[in-house]
Amino acid sequence: MLRFSKILFYTTLVLLLVWQLPWCYNFLTSKPTKAPFVLYSSVLGDFILTGNEDGTGIKRRDLSGNEYTQREVDSLLPTFYYRQLMTDERFPDTLQGVPLTVRALQQENFNFRITPSDVNHPYIPLYPLLESMSGRVDLAMPDDVFRITKQGIEFIEMANNTVKEEKSRQFTEALLKKGFTFPSTAIAGNPTTRKEYDEGYLVLDANARLFHLKRTKDRPYVRAIDLPEGLQIKHLFLTEFRNKRSLGFLVDVNHQFYVLETKTYDVQKVSIRAYNPEADAITIFGNMFDWTVRITGAEQDEFYALAADDYSLIKKYEPQKPEKSLAQKLGAYLFPLRLSFTSSSDKYVKPRFH
Amino acid sequence: MWKAIFYKEWIKTRWYFVLALLLTLGFAGYCLLRMNRVIVFQGPAHLWEVMLSRDVIFIDLLQYIPLLVGILMAIVQFVPEMHHKCLKLTLHLPYPALRMVMTMLLSGLALLVFCFVSNFLLMGIYLQQVLAPEMTKHILMTALPWYLAGLTGYLLVSWVCLEPAWKRRVINLAISVFVLKIFYMSSTPEAYNSFIPWLFMYTVMATSLSWLSVLRFKIGKQD
Repeated sequence: MLRFSKILFYTTLVLLLVWQLPWCYNFLTSKPTKAPFVLYSSVLGDFILTGNEDGTGIKRRDLSGNEYTQREVDSLLPTFYYRQLMTDERFPDTLQGVPLTVRALQQENFNFRITPSDVNHPYIPLYPLLESMSGRVDLAMPDDVFRITKQGIEFIEMANNTVKEEKSRQFTEALLKKGFTFPSTAIAGNPTTRKEYDEGYLVLDANARLFHLKRTKDRPYVRAIDLPEGLQIKHLFLTEFRNKRSLGFLVDVNHQFYVLETKTYDVQKVSIRAYNPEADAITIFGNMFDWTVRITGAEQDEFYALAADDYSLIKKYEPQKPEKSLAQKLGAYLFPLRLSFTSSSDKYVKPRFH
Repeated sequence: MWKAIFYKEWIKTRWYFVLALLLTLGFAGYCLLRMNRVIVFQGPAHLWEVMLSRDVIFIDLLQYIPLLVGILMAIVQFVPEMHHKCLKLTLHLPYPALRMVMTMLLSGLALLVFCFVSNFLLMGIYLQQVLAPEMTKHILMTALPWYLAGLTGYLLVSWVCLEPAWKRRVINLAISVFVLKIFYMSSTPEAYNSFIPWLFMYTVMATSLSWLSVLRFKIGKQD
């Protein structure tokens, strides 16, 4: 027993040191990183980097190093700074031959951001299915939530915590009729009333087939979505952007990124190298001409400019990998083994050795 | 003999046990009353929506209660023992010292487990009436590391209290603080799910640490 107690004592001590010493070192030596804000300018045909440069304040440059003033950048990025341009009465009538209005810009602009911790986190597998055609301007939360089991879809009435048998049967039959195999393996939706319209959920069934499920006039709407041959989807994101062009974003098992079109349910491959939602963060600033996609991996960022109509690659920018500081190099030498319990990539607490 | 030791420990800790039981049940009951108040004033749907859309579990108030109860149990059980030099007498009883110490710890653990299980039963019985099983599990699994922290806190503070030398006591206390910090590293519900078996294993193993202190006491280690 004495030997066991001693082993436990020293093991605890070593683990605490491996955990706390590198943490203290990082806490004392870490410095803020100055990643610039990057957007693609269709006017310039290049990325514009806005960032704080050491000792000289905020600088705005293109990839060739040409410097621009804030006023120039407003004009180079009219879809992003349209409010400023309106205020200055500099808002262009047309861009690339397309007539521009503020309303059209607002309709087409969108931001999309998903971090690994949005994907890797614990959740309750219950989902509210909003009425998508209520006839009212505002969306309303339903009085029930659903779960998908091996047997079917079950709606539970929140007021009395009981299963709504009739509604559950109706939706289960609708799903089965379209070839759905229970249970589901992934469900994606935006269950909130703070949006302009509702598209329900994208659901992957037990055979990895993709379905679109929503509630229209209190009846089930189920659509089996044909995926290109060999495409195995792993991650789903329902977009519900204002322009209603895309229904969702899909990522397959090989980390390829796809856009699912709303009306046709066509799946379009996006020309970016790879995106793993479990490890990388993605930010998309979209407008009617182009998308600026930023993929933030563990090591460095990648920026892509894509054509908004066919998602083809316009330009790619891969910033130079920031050089490790002396403190970081020394830290790696001093602490070859590190223990942490939390991570910025997920919301779980578990031991991780680096 | 073990029955006599259990009885001795029961005599020492019974009033504290009643207080701990009332305190933990009181806090758990208060959390449930707050949930009930939300249901009465805003309806059950509001409670469900808040839980599903945000990381809210309504029993956050309980977070440090089991830890406090566990630490105080160790203090109530072992500080008078050390202060009145009773441990020396206890270890001279015709019973193996290791078994004696383990029986003492087991009696404290049994009372704490009774206390904590009663909390879980109270919460489980109420929650399953108003919430879906997934949500009840969500709340109880979030609370489980807090209750494990209570048991680990008891064992670690027992180890500190039984230590005869002050210098070593401070080191043990520092180690205990860092170990207990691990149980409170995230406020995300169910963040510990995959880690709970490891924490449970450590809690079981932490029972052996007190033996180190008792052996040092037996050989007369002092500052």
